[in-house]
Amino acid sequence: MSPHWRALDIDLSTGRIFNTEFPESRVRLFLGGRGLGAAILRDLTGPGTEPLGSDTPLIFATGPLTGAGVPSGDRFSLSTLSPLTGTVLDTNSGGRLGRSLKRAGWDLLIIRGAAQSLSILKVDNSGGELLPAGEMRGERVSTVLGKLGRTYGKSCGMAVIGPAGERVVRYASIMTERMRAMGRGGAGAVMGSKNLKAIVVMGSGEVKVHDRGRLKVVLEESNRWLRAHPVTSKALPALGTPMLVNICTRAGIFPMANFRRVAVGESKAYSGELLAREFTVGRSGCTGCYIRCGRITEVDGVRGEGPEYESLWALGPNLDITDLKAIIRAAHLCNELGLDTISTGGTLSCAMELGSLDIRRSSLNFGDSEAVLKAIGLIAAREGEGDELAEGSRTLSRKAGAEEYSMQVKGLELPGYDPRGVQGQGLAYATSSRGGCHLRGGYLIAREVLGIPKKVSGREVLGKGGHVARAQDFGAVADSLSSCRFATFALTQEYWSRMVSAVTGWEMSGEDMMRAGERIINLERILNVERGIEPEQDTLPRRFLSEPLGEGACAGEVVRLDDMLEEYYARRGWPGGVPDREKREELGLS
Amino acid sequence: MTAEFARIGRLLFQGGLNNSHSGNLSVRIGDKLVITRRGAMLGELSASDLVPIDLKQDDSGIAIASTEVNVHRAIYRSTSALAIVHSHPRSATALSLRGDNIVPVDVEGRYYFKRVPVFQAKRAIGSEELEGGLPVLLENFPIVMIRGHGAFATGGNLEEGLQISHSLEWSCDILLRCLAMGLSPEVVMDDDGHGDW
Repeated sequence: MSPHWRALDIDLSTGRIFNTEFPESRVRLFLGGRGLGAAILRDLTGPGTEPLGSDTPLIFATGPLTGAGVPSGDRFSLSTLSPLTGTVLDTNSGGRLGRSLKRAGWDLLIIRGAAQSLSILKVDNSGGELLPAGEMRGERVSTVLGKLGRTYGKSCGMAVIGPAGERVVRYASIMTERMRAMGRGGAGAVMGSKNLKAIVVMGSGEVKVHDRGRLKVVLEESNRWLRAHPVTSKALPALGTPMLVNICTRAGIFPMANFRRVAVGESKAYSGELLAREFTVGRSGCTGCYIRCGRITEVDGVRGEGPEYESLWALGPNLDITDLKAIIRAAHLCNELGLDTISTGGTLSCAMELGSLDIRRSSLNFGDSEAVLKAIGLIAAREGEGDELAEGSRTLSRKAGAEEYSMQVKGLELPGYDPRGVQGQGLAYATSSRGGCHLRGGYLIAREVLGIPKKVSGREVLGKGGHVARAQDFGAVADSLSSCRFATFALTQEYWSRMVSAVTGWEMSGEDMMRAGERIINLERILNVERGIEPEQDTLPRRFLSEPLGEGACAGEVVRLDDMLEEYYARRGWPGGVPDREKREELGLS
Repeated sequence: MTAEFARIGRLLFQGGLNNSHSGNLSVRIGDKLVITRRGAMLGELSASDLVPIDLKQDDSGIAIASTEVNVHRAIYRSTSALAIVHSHPRSATALSLRGDNIVPVDVEGRYYFKRVPVFQAKRAIGSEELEGGLPVLLENFPIVMIRGHGAFATGGNLEEGLQISHSLEWSCDILLRCLAMGLSPEVVMDDDGHGDW
C-alpha cells in the first residue's frame, strides 16, 4: 500500500481540482473511513461553519479494507456536517463507489464549494470533471441512476440525490447505484446545497494487498465464523433486518404511534415473515457481501429496495399503520425521492401527535396511509405543509411550543427500539455523536435483545456505561474500516486487525484497533463541543424519562439515564461530558 | 450484580475450575471495578464478598480486595474488557507446565482458540510481572494461562469469561486424554492447523 493516502480535492465553486496526500502515519491513527473523515473535517471546518454553507466539505473516504475482497468490507464513508442536527455527521453505504475510487487510485474524495448550476461530478483514474446535469433537475433517484448507467456503464459507482436533496430537505439522503441509502442526518441536503446531483466514479486499476497469503488464511477463518453465526448465516439472509419486528415485539420494545405505546403479542400484519412470504421477490446486498440482507419487494407490479426494519417501523407502526402494502409503498417512495425513512417517519409521527392533541393543525392523522404518501411527496418538494415538515421534528415541535413530542436526540429522529426496555440503548441514543442513532450510539440491541455475544439484561442500568462505550468504539472501528456492522456480530476485533495487517502491512492488535475507535469517538465529541453541542444535550425526550411503559414485557420501566451517564462519562474519562486534557493527550488529540 | 457474581462463581466452582477458595472475578463499572474479596469462596458469593475499588488509585478497598486486584486493573487499563474471570483449571494448568502455548485438538477448542499462550513468571501471583505481561497477551487473546497457576479470561461480561474458561478446560481434558492414549497432537490435528469446523 502507498505510504500516503491520495485524495482528489475538488472545489466546485472555482472548478479547481487538486491532488492531496495524507501521510499513512496519520491515516493509521484514525484507520480510514469515518475516523479519517472526522480528522479531515476538523481541519477544514471551524465552530462557525454552517452545514449548508459552501465551506462545508463532503468527504468520501474509503477504508483500508475497501476493494480488498474482504467479506462485508467494501463499504465507504461520507463525513460532513449535519444540517438537521448541527453535529458532525458520518454516514456510510455499501455501493460500488468506494471500490471504484480505490481502483481509480484515490482513497478519498473531498468536495468543497458549490457549483453554479446543477452538476454531475465524474471521477476516474485521471481525476475529476464537472458536467452539467440541468436536464436531471427534479428527477427521481432510479431515473437518474438509469441514465448514468446507460451513459457511463453499469459497473461504475454512483451517489445521487433525489428531489428532496435538491430542495435541501434537512433529512435528505444520498442513494447509491444499488438503491442503498446514506440516510441519516441530511447529507443529501449538503450535496443539494452544492448543486451536485450525482457523482460517478469509474476505476480500472487493481487494489493493492500487502500479503495475499496472510489475507487468504484470515479470510478462510472469518468466513467460517460468518457461516457459523446464526444471525449472519441464517436470519439475515432469510428475512433481512425485518426479522427484528417479532423479536423486538416479544422483547416489549417495538414502538407504536410516536412511542406512545409498544406492540404486544405477535406482529403478524407487518412481520418480517410476512414480508418474505408475500412481497419479497429477491435479495440484494452490498458489494462484496454474501449476507445479502437487502430485500427486493414488489407491490402491485412495482419493485423496489426494502423496506429495512427501520423503514418498516418508521413508516408503519410508528404512524399506527399496519398495512404492509402501504408501508412498502411509502418506503419505496422515500428511496425514490431521496429521503431518510427514519426521520421522515419520525417527523410525520410528531406532526400526527401534535395534531391529535390540537397543539398544531395538520392534515395528518395516525393510521392514514394515503395522507402519508401525499405528505412524503410534499416534503420532498417543500410544498404546503411539506415545507415545514422538511425541517425535521425538532424544529416542527419547537415552533408549536411542544418539543417534548418530538422523539429525537440532538435533532435526529430515533429508530425503532423503545429505550425504556433497553436501558443501554437509551444511553447510546443520548450519547451518539450524530444524535439519536442506534448505530453511532452503539447497537446495544445486539447485547440486550439478541444476546450477542452474551445477553445482558435490558432493564439493568449498572455496567451499561462500559457496554455503550465499548460498542461505540468498536462501531467506530467498523465504520472506519468501512466494514458492515452485521459482520461484527460474528467477527471480533482480532479478526479485523488481522485483515487490516494483511491488507496494509500495519501491525495492529485488536486492542490497537479499539484504541483507534476510542480516539475517533473522542475526536467527534471534541468536534461537537467546539460546535456548541454541549453535554447537556446528552439526554432523551421527556417521555422516556418520566412516562413508564404501560404494557408488554417491560411495563413500568422508564429510562434511568442519570445513573448510566455518570458511569459512561467516568468510563470515557470525560469529566462533565467533555474529554479533558489528560484524555486528549493520551489519545494524541490536541 | 451480586446475583450475577454469585451465579458465575457457583458455576466455576461446580464445574471444577476453582477449588473452594481459589480464583477471583471482577467487572469494570466506569472508572471503577468491582472485584471479589480476598479469600472469597466463589461457590458462595454474597454482597459482602464484592469490593468496589478505583481503577487507578488505592482506597480502603485495597485492604480486602483480591490479591490479584492490580493485575485486573492493569488488564482494564490496557484492554476494552468489561469483565475478568480468573480460574484454576486443573487440566489447563497441567498442560501449562509443558510448553509456551496450548493448542487445542478438538473442534470446539479450535473454534474458540487457535492457541492459548502460557505466561511464565517468577512470581506467579499478583506480581508486577503479571501486571506487565498479561495485558499485552490479552490484547490478542481472550484467555491466557499463567504457568502452573491458572487462567485469566476477559470478556464483555462475566458469562463470556466463564464460557471461555470452561471451553479451554474442556479442550485441555480432551488433549490430556489423547496424550494418555499415546496420540500426539500432530496426529490428531489436521495438517492445516486451524481446524475444519
